[in-house]
Amino acid sequence: MAPGSPDSSERSARLAALISRVAMADQRAFEALYGLTSAHLYAVALRIVKEPSAAEEILQEAYVSVWHHAGSYDAARSQPITWLVSIVRNRCLDQLRRRDLDTVSLTTEDEDAPELDIPDEGPSPAELLLRGAEAHSVRECVETLDGGQKQAIALAFYQGLSHAELARHMKQPLGTIKSWVRRGLERLKRCLDAAGYAR
Amino acid sequence: MDLAHPDHRARLDELAAQYALGTLRGRARDRFTRAAHADPHIAAVAREWERRLALLASAVPAVNPPPRVWTAIATRLGLEGVRGAGLAWWQRLGFWRGFAIASFAAALVLSGITLMQPPATPGESLVAVLAGPDAKPVMVATAALDQSVLTLKAVADVTPGPGRVFELWALPEGAAPRSLGVIAPAGVVKVRLRGPSGEALARVPALAVSLEPTGGSPTGQPTGPVLYSGRVERLY
Repeated sequence: MAPGSPDSSERSARLAALISRVAMADQRAFEALYGLTSAHLYAVALRIVKEPSAAEEILQEAYVSVWHHAGSYDAARSQPITWLVSIVRNRCLDQLRRRDLDTVSLTTEDEDAPELDIPDEGPSPAELLLRGAEAHSVRECVETLDGGQKQAIALAFYQGLSHAELARHMKQPLGTIKSWVRRGLERLKRCLDAAGYAR
Repeated sequence: MDLAHPDHRARLDELAAQYALGTLRGRARDRFTRAAHADPHIAAVAREWERRLALLASAVPAVNPPPRVWTAIATRLGLEGVRGAGLAWWQRLGFWRGFAIASFAAALVLSGITLMQPPATPGESLVAVLAGPDAKPVMVATAALDQSVLTLKAVADVTPGPGRVFELWALPEGAAPRSLGVIAPAGVVKVRLRGPSGEALARVPALAVSLEPTGGSPTGQPTGPVLYSGRVERLY
């Protein structure tokens, strides 16, 4: 959805209004917020942590946190959905990290690490990257990325892969991966900001 | 390193980007999170990156979480009188509750229908009996699995009223309703599907009819009340 399109700004305004009511402990607003956003947030979590039980747990924690911290949401600073997605993504990354710590003694070397489980159901991360870029100019920006940059960024964003996991999955040296990600992000930023998506 | 210092602008931007993307991990992530909490400038740069990447995030197809997630949240927070009122109508439990009664009525109607109108092609078909809250069948939808046509037959006398029409919706699992078109309130209506019904309605557990302004829903989603609904059953 393009920023500024009537649909997205209307939806954002509605979500922001609900969050401000949640900040005042309005239960109905909280239910409405859950009804409008949980399917999207659950999908985001599921893609990253993969296991439904872990994704459910994260969703639960995220909404409990939203209930307690809705007062800290500042509509002037970020879109409501961006704020919510960030809460969920951060919890997912924490979860992945705990998982990494659990297995670190078994797999200290990258070569010994188990094959990554990248589900092939549904659209691939690279497809999502293009599909997400619904607005023409955003899609053009995604398309300025090289193949490797695009794939690395998509896998990191949608599946929560770390640099080391990207290197293993894409069978590239760690240095190459890091530079693909860094240059890809730089290019994306220049292009998006030039296209008028800068604040 | 003082990340907020102008000399480190490029480094800050890079770290914020990696933070938002998720590739900043472990202790480096913790340090960055603390720095962002302590310094509004660092937090602002991180938010900028979250916003840029959010432009790409809308594509993940939505998946409805199981109802127990909401129950667990409501229990943990001690919310009172939680009935799922905030959920979209097709996600509400109550919406599905009428089905038990409706399917009994459906069986009665169906036996009548099949006698009157034996399916043109033998084989499997999909059937949905659409009923209102009183579980009284109003329309019956049938489609042979290998045909791209859904036949809708009115079995009760209903009219949408002046300036209003009935619109038929497929209610896919974990996704928003999909319009199957505006339908006439009486007689037999053929609705063209986008493929054989076995595929077009594969993950569609239910159909519903809503009341819409002439010409159908202006938004692509149901805007008026949902009058009738029914579970899609597979008949062999």
